[in-house]
Amino acid sequence: MEQNNSLPPFQGLASPQGAMTPGMPIFSPMMPYGSGLTPQPVTNTNSLSLLEEQQRQQQQQQQASAQQAGVPGGLGQTPQLYHSQTVTTTTLPGNTPLYTATPLTPMTPITPATPASESSGIVPQLQNIVSTVNLGCKLDLKTIALRARNAEYNPKRFAAVIMRIREPRTTALIFSSGKMVCTGAKSEEQSRLAARKYARVVQKLGFPAKFLDFKIQNMVGSCDVKFPIRLEGLVLTHQQFSSYEPELFPGLIYRMIKPRIVLLIFVSGKVVLTGAKVRGEIYEAFENIYPILKGFRKTT
Amino acid sequence: MAYQLYRNTTLGNSLQESLDELIQTQQITPQLALQVLLQFDKAINTALANRVCNRVNFKGSLNTYRFCDNVWTFVLNDVEFREVTDLVKVDKVKIVACDGKNTGNAAE
Repeated sequence: MEQNNSLPPFQGLASPQGAMTPGMPIFSPMMPYGSGLTPQPVTNTNSLSLLEEQQRQQQQQQQASAQQAGVPGGLGQTPQLYHSQTVTTTTLPGNTPLYTATPLTPMTPITPATPASESSGIVPQLQNIVSTVNLGCKLDLKTIALRARNAEYNPKRFAAVIMRIREPRTTALIFSSGKMVCTGAKSEEQSRLAARKYARVVQKLGFPAKFLDFKIQNMVGSCDVKFPIRLEGLVLTHQQFSSYEPELFPGLIYRMIKPRIVLLIFVSGKVVLTGAKVRGEIYEAFENIYPILKGFRKTT
Repeated sequence: MAYQLYRNTTLGNSLQESLDELIQTQQITPQLALQVLLQFDKAINTALANRVCNRVNFKGSLNTYRFCDNVWTFVLNDVEFREVTDLVKVDKVKIVACDGKNTGNAAE
Protein backbone atom coordinates (compact mmCIF):
# COMPACT_ATOMS: atom_id res chain seq x y z
CA MET A 1 0.00 0.00 0.00
CA GLU A 2 3.02 2.20 0.01
CA GLN A 3 2.32 3.69 -3.33
CA ASN A 4 2.36 7.31 -2.48
CA ASN A 5 5.62 8.01 -4.20
CA SER A 6 5.22 5.97 -7.30
CA LEU A 7 1.78 6.87 -8.47
CA PRO A 8 1.37 9.96 -10.53
CA PRO A 9 -0.20 12.27 -8.05
CA PHE A 10 -2.80 13.72 -10.34
CA GLN A 11 -4.28 13.30 -13.70
CA GLY A 12 -4.36 16.79 -14.95
CA LEU A 13 -7.07 17.56 -12.49
CA ALA A 14 -7.06 20.70 -10.59
CA SER A 15 -7.62 19.40 -7.16
CA PRO A 16 -5.20 19.32 -4.36
CA GLN A 17 -3.05 16.34 -4.36
CA GLY A 18 -3.97 13.19 -2.67
CA ALA A 19 -7.67 13.38 -2.44
CA MET A 20 -8.35 12.71 -6.06
CA THR A 21 -7.43 9.25 -6.98
CA PRO A 22 -9.83 6.72 -5.69
CA GLY A 23 -8.07 3.87 -4.09
CA MET A 24 -4.88 5.73 -3.49
CA PRO A 25 -3.83 5.75 0.08
CA ILE A 26 -3.11 9.28 0.94
CA PHE A 27 -2.10 8.63 4.44
CA SER A 28 1.20 6.99 4.82
CA PRO A 29 2.78 6.88 8.23
CA MET A 30 6.14 6.46 6.58
CA MET A 31 6.13 9.94 5.16
CA PRO A 32 8.70 12.08 6.92
CA TYR A 33 7.16 15.27 8.10
CA GLY A 34 8.05 18.25 6.02
CA SER A 35 10.18 16.45 3.51
CA GLY A 36 8.96 18.77 0.84
CA LEU A 37 8.97 15.84 -1.51
CA THR A 38 5.49 14.49 -1.25
CA PRO A 39 2.32 15.71 0.24
CA GLN A 40 1.14 15.43 3.74
CA PRO A 41 -2.01 13.46 4.20
CA VAL A 42 -5.07 15.55 4.33
CA THR A 43 -8.77 15.38 4.23
CA ASN A 44 -9.79 18.14 1.99
CA THR A 45 -12.30 20.57 3.24
CA ASN A 46 -12.23 23.03 0.43
CA SER A 47 -15.22 23.14 -1.82
CA LEU A 48 -13.42 21.75 -4.85
CA SER A 49 -12.56 18.55 -3.18
CA LEU A 50 -15.87 18.28 -1.39
CA LEU A 51 -17.55 18.25 -4.74
CA GLU A 52 -15.07 15.74 -6.02
CA GLU A 53 -15.54 13.62 -2.93
CA GLN A 54 -19.24 13.48 -3.55
CA GLN A 55 -18.67 12.48 -7.11
CA ARG A 56 -16.07 10.00 -6.09
CA GLN A 57 -18.43 8.52 -3.57
CA GLN A 58 -20.98 8.06 -6.30
CA GLN A 59 -18.37 6.34 -8.35
CA GLN A 60 -17.36 4.22 -5.42
CA GLN A 61 -20.90 3.07 -5.05
CA GLN A 62 -21.03 2.17 -8.69
CA GLN A 63 -17.80 0.35 -8.40
CA ALA A 64 -18.78 -1.34 -5.20
CA SER A 65 -21.55 -3.06 -7.04
CA ALA A 66 -19.21 -4.02 -9.82
CA GLN A 67 -16.71 -5.36 -7.28
CA GLN A 68 -13.51 -5.77 -9.14
CA ALA A 69 -13.80 -2.60 -11.13
CA GLY A 70 -11.25 -1.79 -13.74
CA VAL A 71 -9.78 1.22 -12.12
CA PRO A 72 -8.58 2.98 -15.20
CA GLY A 73 -12.07 2.84 -16.58
CA GLY A 74 -13.48 4.20 -13.39
CA LEU A 75 -10.99 6.95 -13.31
CA GLY A 76 -11.96 7.96 -16.75
CA GLN A 77 -15.24 9.14 -15.34
CA THR A 78 -13.65 11.29 -12.77
CA PRO A 79 -14.87 14.72 -13.60
CA GLN A 80 -12.46 17.38 -14.52
CA LEU A 81 -13.40 20.52 -12.75
CA TYR A 82 -10.84 22.56 -14.57
CA HIS A 83 -10.46 22.27 -18.23
CA SER A 84 -6.81 21.83 -18.80
CA GLN A 85 -5.19 21.92 -22.18
CA THR A 86 -2.57 19.44 -21.18
CA VAL A 87 -2.92 15.73 -21.48
CA THR A 88 -4.96 14.00 -18.86
CA THR A 89 -2.78 11.33 -17.45
CA THR A 90 -4.26 8.05 -16.41
CA THR A 91 -2.91 5.61 -13.91
CA LEU A 92 0.17 3.78 -14.99
CA PRO A 93 -0.59 0.41 -16.45
CA GLY A 94 1.52 -1.32 -13.89
CA ASN A 95 -0.49 -0.12 -10.97
CA THR A 96 -3.17 -2.41 -9.75
CA PRO A 97 -6.22 -0.90 -8.23
CA LEU A 98 -5.52 -0.39 -4.62
CA TYR A 99 -8.89 -1.33 -3.40
CA THR A 100 -8.82 -4.87 -4.67
CA ALA A 101 -11.94 -6.67 -3.76
CA THR A 102 -11.55 -7.86 -0.30
CA PRO A 103 -14.91 -7.61 1.32
CA LEU A 104 -13.51 -5.80 4.30
CA THR A 105 -11.78 -3.12 2.29
CA PRO A 106 -13.72 0.07 2.75
CA MET A 107 -14.93 1.27 -0.58
CA THR A 108 -15.52 4.76 0.60
CA PRO A 109 -13.06 7.33 -0.56
CA ILE A 110 -9.91 7.33 1.39
CA THR A 111 -10.66 9.38 4.42
CA PRO A 112 -7.57 8.57 6.36
CA ALA A 113 -8.23 7.11 9.74
CA THR A 114 -6.60 9.93 11.61
CA PRO A 115 -5.74 12.75 9.32
CA ALA A 116 -2.64 14.47 10.51
CA SER A 117 -3.77 17.85 9.28
CA GLU A 118 -6.66 19.62 7.67
CA SER A 119 -6.37 20.88 4.13
CA SER A 120 -5.58 24.52 3.84
CA GLY A 121 -8.86 25.66 2.39
CA ILE A 122 -6.83 28.17 0.42
CA VAL A 123 -6.67 27.93 -3.34
CA PRO A 124 -3.79 29.66 -5.11
CA GLN A 125 -4.93 32.03 -7.84
CA LEU A 126 -3.27 31.89 -11.21
CA GLN A 127 -1.64 35.17 -12.13
CA ASN A 128 0.26 34.51 -15.32
CA ILE A 129 0.50 31.87 -18.00
CA VAL A 130 3.27 31.74 -20.60
CA SER A 131 2.67 29.67 -23.69
CA THR A 132 4.21 29.13 -27.10
CA VAL A 133 2.80 28.22 -30.46
CA ASN A 134 4.18 27.75 -33.94
CA LEU A 135 2.37 29.60 -36.71
CA GLY A 136 4.09 27.35 -39.21
CA CYS A 137 5.29 29.92 -41.72
CA LYS A 138 7.99 32.55 -42.04
CA LEU A 139 6.80 36.05 -41.22
CA ASP A 140 7.82 39.48 -42.42
CA LEU A 141 7.99 41.40 -39.17
CA LYS A 142 8.13 44.83 -40.77
CA THR A 143 4.89 44.20 -42.64
CA ILE A 144 3.27 43.03 -39.45
CA ALA A 145 4.50 46.03 -37.48
CA LEU A 146 3.35 48.49 -40.12
CA ARG A 147 -0.08 47.04 -40.68
CA ALA A 148 -1.19 45.56 -37.38
CA ARG A 149 -2.44 47.67 -34.52
CA ASN A 150 -0.74 47.82 -31.14
CA ALA A 151 2.57 46.50 -32.34
CA GLU A 152 6.15 47.50 -31.61
CA TYR A 153 9.15 46.49 -33.65
CA ASN A 154 12.65 47.66 -32.90
CA PRO A 155 15.00 45.16 -34.57
CA LYS A 156 18.07 46.88 -33.17
CA ARG A 157 16.91 46.04 -29.67
CA PHE A 158 14.91 42.85 -30.08
CA ALA A 159 14.27 40.67 -33.08
CA ALA A 160 10.53 40.24 -32.60
CA VAL A 161 7.28 42.15 -32.93
CA ILE A 162 5.67 42.85 -29.57
CA MET A 163 1.92 42.89 -29.97
CA ARG A 164 -0.81 43.32 -27.40
CA ILE A 165 -4.52 42.67 -27.27
CA ARG A 166 -7.01 43.85 -24.72
CA GLU A 167 -9.18 40.77 -24.34
CA PRO A 168 -7.71 38.60 -22.88
CA ARG A 169 -5.19 41.16 -21.77
CA THR A 170 -1.99 39.62 -23.07
CA THR A 171 1.27 40.36 -24.84
CA ALA A 172 2.75 38.32 -27.66
CA LEU A 173 6.27 38.12 -29.02
CA ILE A 174 6.12 37.19 -32.66
CA PHE A 175 9.32 36.03 -34.35
CA SER A 176 10.21 35.92 -38.02
CA SER A 177 10.49 32.13 -37.84
CA GLY A 178 6.76 32.00 -37.23
CA LYS A 179 7.06 31.08 -33.59
CA MET A 180 5.18 33.07 -30.98
CA VAL A 181 5.21 33.47 -27.22
CA CYS A 182 2.01 34.55 -25.46
CA THR A 183 2.19 35.95 -21.91
CA GLY A 184 -0.10 37.54 -19.38
CA ALA A 185 -3.19 35.36 -19.46
CA LYS A 186 -4.82 34.30 -16.20
CA SER A 187 -5.95 30.85 -17.27
CA GLU A 188 -5.01 28.08 -19.67
CA GLU A 189 -8.07 28.63 -21.79
CA GLN A 190 -7.48 32.37 -21.97
CA SER A 191 -3.89 31.78 -23.01
CA ARG A 192 -4.98 29.53 -25.83
CA LEU A 193 -7.70 31.94 -26.89
CA ALA A 194 -5.30 34.86 -26.90
CA ALA A 195 -2.76 32.93 -28.94
CA ARG A 196 -5.48 32.13 -31.45
CA LYS A 197 -6.41 35.80 -31.67
CA TYR A 198 -2.83 36.76 -32.44
CA ALA A 199 -2.67 34.00 -35.04
CA ARG A 200 -5.82 35.39 -36.62
CA VAL A 201 -4.31 38.87 -36.77
CA VAL A 202 -1.27 37.49 -38.54
CA GLN A 203 -3.48 35.46 -40.84
CA LYS A 204 -5.55 38.50 -41.77
CA LEU A 205 -2.38 40.26 -42.82
CA GLY A 206 -1.96 37.65 -45.50
CA PHE A 207 0.34 35.06 -43.97
CA PRO A 208 -0.65 31.38 -44.11
CA ALA A 209 -0.71 31.07 -40.34
CA LYS A 210 -1.50 27.77 -38.66
CA PHE A 211 -1.78 26.89 -34.98
CA LEU A 212 0.77 24.17 -34.33
CA ASP A 213 2.08 22.75 -31.06
CA PHE A 214 0.41 25.09 -28.64
CA LYS A 215 2.02 24.44 -25.28
CA ILE A 216 1.83 26.06 -21.92
CA GLN A 217 5.37 26.59 -20.74
CA ASN A 218 4.92 28.20 -17.35
CA MET A 219 2.19 28.98 -14.87
CA VAL A 220 2.43 31.36 -11.92
CA GLY A 221 0.10 31.41 -8.96
CA SER A 222 -0.10 33.27 -5.71
CA CYS A 223 -1.92 33.08 -2.42
CA ASP A 224 -1.90 34.21 1.17
CA VAL A 225 -1.68 31.91 4.16
CA LYS A 226 -2.88 34.77 6.36
CA PHE A 227 -0.26 34.46 9.05
CA PRO A 228 3.34 35.72 9.32
CA ILE A 229 6.12 33.19 8.77
CA ARG A 230 9.50 32.65 10.42
CA LEU A 231 11.64 32.47 7.28
CA GLU A 232 14.83 32.02 9.30
CA GLY A 233 13.46 28.90 10.91
CA LEU A 234 12.30 27.55 7.61
CA VAL A 235 15.66 28.00 5.96
CA LEU A 236 17.39 26.27 8.86
CA THR A 237 15.30 23.14 8.74
CA HIS A 238 14.84 22.97 4.98
CA GLN A 239 18.22 24.13 3.81
CA GLN A 240 18.41 21.62 0.99
CA PHE A 241 15.40 23.26 -0.60
CA SER A 242 15.54 26.86 0.60
CA SER A 243 17.63 29.87 -0.11
CA TYR A 244 17.03 32.99 1.92
CA GLU A 245 19.20 36.05 1.50
CA PRO A 246 17.27 38.96 3.02
CA GLU A 247 19.88 41.45 1.91
CA LEU A 248 19.38 40.35 -1.66
CA PHE A 249 15.70 39.59 -1.75
CA PRO A 250 13.14 39.67 1.02
CA GLY A 251 11.53 36.37 0.08
CA LEU A 252 12.65 32.84 0.76
CA ILE A 253 13.13 30.81 -2.43
CA TYR A 254 11.92 27.27 -1.86
CA ARG A 255 12.67 24.80 -4.65
CA MET A 256 10.30 21.91 -4.16
CA ILE A 257 11.42 18.67 -5.79
CA LYS A 258 8.08 17.06 -6.25
CA PRO A 259 6.34 18.64 -7.94
CA ARG A 260 9.12 20.70 -9.41
CA ILE A 261 7.90 24.12 -8.38
CA VAL A 262 9.68 27.17 -7.05
CA LEU A 263 7.92 29.02 -4.26
CA LEU A 264 8.68 32.53 -3.05
CA ILE A 265 7.67 32.72 0.57
CA PHE A 266 7.42 36.06 2.30
CA VAL A 267 7.30 37.08 5.92
CA SER A 268 3.81 38.47 5.44
CA GLY A 269 2.50 35.03 4.58
CA LYS A 270 2.14 35.67 0.90
CA VAL A 271 3.35 32.86 -1.33
CA VAL A 272 4.15 32.93 -5.04
CA LEU A 273 4.37 29.61 -6.89
CA THR A 274 5.94 29.30 -10.30
CA GLY A 275 7.38 26.80 -12.72
CA ALA A 276 4.27 24.73 -13.23
CA LYS A 277 3.28 23.18 -16.51
CA VAL A 278 -0.19 22.28 -15.27
CA ARG A 279 -2.54 23.88 -12.77
CA GLY A 280 -2.48 20.84 -10.52
CA GLU A 281 1.22 21.27 -9.83
CA ILE A 282 0.56 24.67 -8.31
CA TYR A 283 -2.18 23.31 -6.10
CA GLU A 284 -0.14 20.28 -5.14
CA ALA A 285 2.88 22.37 -4.25
CA PHE A 286 0.81 24.64 -2.10
CA GLU A 287 -0.82 21.76 -0.27
CA ASN A 288 2.66 20.39 0.34
CA ILE A 289 4.05 23.62 1.71
CA TYR A 290 1.08 24.67 3.80
CA PRO A 291 1.63 22.33 6.76
CA ILE A 292 5.30 23.25 6.72
CA LEU A 293 4.45 26.93 6.83
CA LYS A 294 2.01 26.36 9.64
CA GLY A 295 4.88 24.90 11.58
CA PHE A 296 6.78 28.13 11.18
CA ARG A 297 4.02 30.51 12.02
CA LYS A 298 5.19 33.59 13.87
CA THR A 299 3.62 33.78 17.28
CA THR A 300 4.60 37.29 18.31
CA MET B 1 19.19 65.26 -43.40
CA ALA B 2 16.42 66.54 -41.17
CA TYR B 3 13.10 64.80 -40.63
CA GLN B 4 10.63 65.31 -43.47
CA LEU B 5 7.99 64.87 -40.83
CA TYR B 6 6.75 68.42 -41.00
CA ARG B 7 5.89 68.48 -44.69
CA ASN B 8 2.41 67.17 -43.91
CA THR B 9 1.44 70.07 -41.67
CA THR B 10 -0.66 73.13 -42.45
CA LEU B 11 2.49 75.12 -43.09
CA GLY B 12 4.23 72.39 -45.02
CA ASN B 13 1.19 71.60 -47.13
CA SER B 14 0.66 75.25 -48.01
CA LEU B 15 4.26 75.43 -49.13
CA GLN B 16 3.92 72.29 -51.24
CA GLU B 17 0.74 73.57 -52.87
CA SER B 18 2.39 76.89 -53.69
CA LEU B 19 5.41 75.15 -55.15
CA ASP B 20 3.14 72.93 -57.24
CA GLU B 21 1.41 76.03 -58.63
CA LEU B 22 4.75 77.57 -59.54
CA ILE B 23 5.77 74.37 -61.25
CA GLN B 24 2.50 74.31 -63.21
CA THR B 25 3.10 77.83 -64.46
CA GLN B 26 6.66 76.91 -65.35
CA GLN B 27 8.11 79.53 -63.06
CA ILE B 28 10.34 77.07 -61.24
CA THR B 29 11.73 73.64 -61.95
CA PRO B 30 10.71 70.57 -59.94
CA GLN B 31 14.32 70.24 -58.86
CA LEU B 32 14.20 73.69 -57.36
CA ALA B 33 10.95 72.84 -55.59
CA LEU B 34 12.64 69.80 -54.06
CA GLN B 35 15.50 71.99 -52.83
CA VAL B 36 12.99 74.38 -51.30
CA LEU B 37 11.34 71.55 -49.46
CA LEU B 38 14.65 70.27 -48.16
CA GLN B 39 15.47 73.75 -46.92
CA PHE B 40 12.06 73.91 -45.33
CA ASP B 41 12.79 70.68 -43.47
CA LYS B 42 15.98 72.07 -42.03
CA ALA B 43 14.40 75.39 -41.13
CA ILE B 44 11.33 74.00 -39.43
CA ASN B 45 13.38 71.48 -37.44
CA THR B 46 15.77 74.11 -36.10
CA ALA B 47 12.94 76.56 -35.47
CA LEU B 48 10.97 74.08 -33.42
CA ALA B 49 14.06 73.00 -31.57
CA ASN B 50 15.37 76.46 -30.73
CA ARG B 51 12.66 79.05 -30.98
CA VAL B 52 9.68 77.37 -29.42
CA CYS B 53 9.29 77.02 -25.68
CA ASN B 54 5.56 76.65 -25.06
CA ARG B 55 4.44 73.69 -23.05
CA VAL B 56 1.21 71.87 -23.76
CA ASN B 57 -0.15 68.96 -21.74
CA PHE B 58 -2.55 66.47 -23.15
CA LYS B 59 -4.44 63.58 -21.67
CA GLY B 60 -6.67 61.02 -23.31
CA SER B 61 -7.28 57.31 -23.74
CA LEU B 62 -5.09 55.24 -25.99
CA ASN B 63 -6.79 53.53 -28.85
CA THR B 64 -3.84 52.14 -30.79
CA TYR B 65 -0.08 52.47 -30.89
CA ARG B 66 2.64 51.46 -33.31
CA PHE B 67 6.41 51.56 -33.23
CA CYS B 68 8.28 50.81 -36.44
CA ASP B 69 11.40 52.37 -38.02
CA ASN B 70 11.84 54.35 -34.82
CA VAL B 71 8.61 56.21 -35.40
CA TRP B 72 5.80 56.12 -32.89
CA THR B 73 2.21 56.47 -34.13
CA PHE B 74 -0.56 56.85 -31.57
CA VAL B 75 -4.29 57.26 -31.93
CA LEU B 76 -5.91 58.72 -28.85
CA ASN B 77 -9.59 59.29 -28.08
CA ASP B 78 -11.32 61.97 -26.04
CA VAL B 79 -8.20 64.06 -25.62
CA GLU B 80 -7.87 67.30 -23.71
CA PHE B 81 -5.07 69.61 -24.80
CA ARG B 82 -4.26 71.90 -21.96
CA GLU B 83 -2.18 75.02 -22.14
CA VAL B 84 -1.91 77.53 -19.32
CA THR B 85 -4.29 79.80 -21.16
CA ASP B 86 -6.84 77.44 -22.62
CA LEU B 87 -8.27 74.01 -23.10
CA VAL B 88 -9.15 72.18 -26.32
CA LYS B 89 -11.07 68.92 -26.44
CA VAL B 90 -11.03 66.51 -29.37
CA ASP B 91 -12.58 63.12 -30.03
CA LYS B 92 -9.68 61.65 -31.91
CA VAL B 93 -6.08 62.63 -32.41
CA LYS B 94 -3.31 60.93 -34.35
CA ILE B 95 0.21 61.55 -33.12
CA VAL B 96 3.27 60.76 -35.22
CA ALA B 97 6.49 61.13 -33.29
CA CYS B 98 10.13 60.79 -34.26
CA ASP B 99 13.13 60.55 -32.02
CA GLY B 100 14.17 63.89 -30.58
CA LYS B 101 17.86 63.15 -30.41
CA ASN B 102 19.47 64.27 -33.57
CA THR B 103 19.95 61.33 -35.84
CA GLY B 104 19.17 62.52 -39.24
CA ASN B 105 17.25 59.85 -41.04
CA ALA B 106 14.59 61.50 -43.06
CA ALA B 107 11.37 59.96 -41.89
CA GLU B 108 7.96 60.87 -43.20
